[in-house]
This record gives sequence, C-alpha cells and structure tokens, in this order.
Amino acid sequence: MNPIARQYDKARHAVRYFLLRRLPTCKSVAPMMSESLERKLSLRERFVLKLHLGVCVWCVWYLDQLHVLRDACRERGAGPQDVAGAGQAAMPDDARDRIRRALEEQQ
Amino acid sequence: MAIPDPTQWLDQHGDYLYGYAMVRLRNPENAEDAVQETLLAALKSHETFSGRSSERTWLVGILKHKLIDQYRKTYRESPVPDAELEAFSGDEYFRDEGEWVDHWKPECAPIEWQVTPETELAQGEFWEVFDECLSPLPDRCSQAFTLREIDGLTTDEICEALGVSTSNLWVLLHRARLRLRRCIEINWFRREAAAK
Repeated sequence: MNPIARQYDKARHAVRYFLLRRLPTCKSVAPMMSESLERKLSLRERFVLKLHLGVCVWCVWYLDQLHVLRDACRERGAGPQDVAGAGQAAMPDDARDRIRRALEEQQ
Repeated sequence: MAIPDPTQWLDQHGDYLYGYAMVRLRNPENAEDAVQETLLAALKSHETFSGRSSERTWLVGILKHKLIDQYRKTYRESPVPDAELEAFSGDEYFRDEGEWVDHWKPECAPIEWQVTPETELAQGEFWEVFDECLSPLPDRCSQAFTLREIDGLTTDEICEALGVSTSNLWVLLHRARLRLRRCIEINWFRREAAAK
C-alpha cells in the first residue's frame, strides 16, 4: 500500500470511529429504522440515520432486510391464494357442528 | 339468484377461513366466532355477491371485517401490558457494556442475506419458517405485524382494532421486526448457508 493510500485509510478509519462514538447507537437507530416504514422521519432523524448508515453496515443490512420482509409479506397478503395461515389449522369438528347448526337455524 | 347453501360454504371454505382467522386472532374460540359470523353475514347478504370475484375471496372480505370486530371485543379497555412488552424488548441483541455499549452484539448483528434460488422468500417452505418465527411473539405484537405487513392496513385502522396509541403501535412493530428478522436469519438464511 502506498503512503498516501495508507494515510487516507487511517483518516477514514478515524472518521468512522469518531462518528460511531458520537452518533446515536445502533440500539437507538433501530426503532427509527422501523418507524421509517411508518412515517416520514424528521429532518434531524434522517440526517442522523444517514450518518449512522454511512459507517455501520450492520444497520444498512438491517434496514434493507426490513424492506425485504415488508415486500415479501405484502406479496403474500395480495397473493391469490393468500397462504397467510389459511389451511394451516383445520377447524375442529365440534366447532364445525356448532356453526352448521347456527346456519341451519338461520335459514 | 338461487338460494345459496351456506353449509356448502362451510364444507368448502370452512378450514380456509378458520386458518386465516386463527393466524390473526390466535384463539380458537374467537376464530370460530369470526367464521360463524362471517357465514351468517354472507347468508344475509348473498345478493351482494356479484360473482365477479371467487366465492372464497368474497367470504374472506367479510371475514376481515369480523376479525376487526373480534379484536375490538378482545382489546376493549385492555391497555398494552407493559410487563409483556418489557420482556420482549430485544435489548439482549445489543451490548450492555464496554466501549461499544448499545451497538449490536457481533453474534446478534445482521448478516448479509444471500438471496439464491434456495433462499428465495416467495416459497412455501419459507412461510413455514416465517410462521414459526411469528408464533412466539406476544399476541398484540404479532397481530400488529400481520395487520400492517401482510394485510396492509393503515396505522389508524390497526390502532383502533388493537386499542393502542400510534406510538404504542410503533413500539409493537419495531419489536416484532427486531425479533422476526433475527429468527428468520437464523432459521432460513444461516441454515441455508450452513447446508452448503
């Protein structure tokens, strides 16, 4: 590695370290990332989050994966056979009989 | 239009509706009530069934309203139990001491998800893992997540159904996502990586 590249690397490391130490922690940006799926974050929140994501790849993956999960879930919900739980739990026979009686009374 | 035979609906769609209700209500009695009320309502309003959608889609549409009624009934005057939420904070994913306190513990930190044909999310086996990960969550936490992410209800609709404030809902969703993401990572993405 040439000296300039080494200096640059060191400086980058120092900035990253400084930011990670000074910025809100992963624990405090995690709820913010979740809320970013629910509402528009304030200017301050967006700024802080952006800086944090600039130096923390774990949180970059975290936010990315929240979106992956949302997309997958929404697709499942919109699916023609909405598999979400349907067919997993068969109705107990006694429940079916009670409902059958209720329907016959109503007819 | 011919007079419908609701017992036929029960035979054809009963299990489907019940399963749909069970995942969302997590209580067999409430699920049974919701299915019964759905079929009774369908009987009363079968003229409105246009035949444009499938019978099942029409019944699920009615069921969705009945589910909201069930939530309201369950959660009326029942604030979010703080103890339940506290026990479910996800704090243990973050370091509790040292220089990097409150940052991810390395063993709990997210890993990059390698999406390959085997880890493709839109397949049946993934949803089995997903459902297993959702089931240990506290009721309101899992319900908030399902209503928001799978059913796509608005924040206001969910707050009303579950009887929680907006900020409570955000906490519920955050905790659900924190847990669920981790569980899916361990049981889907890491498992697939380990199998290679």
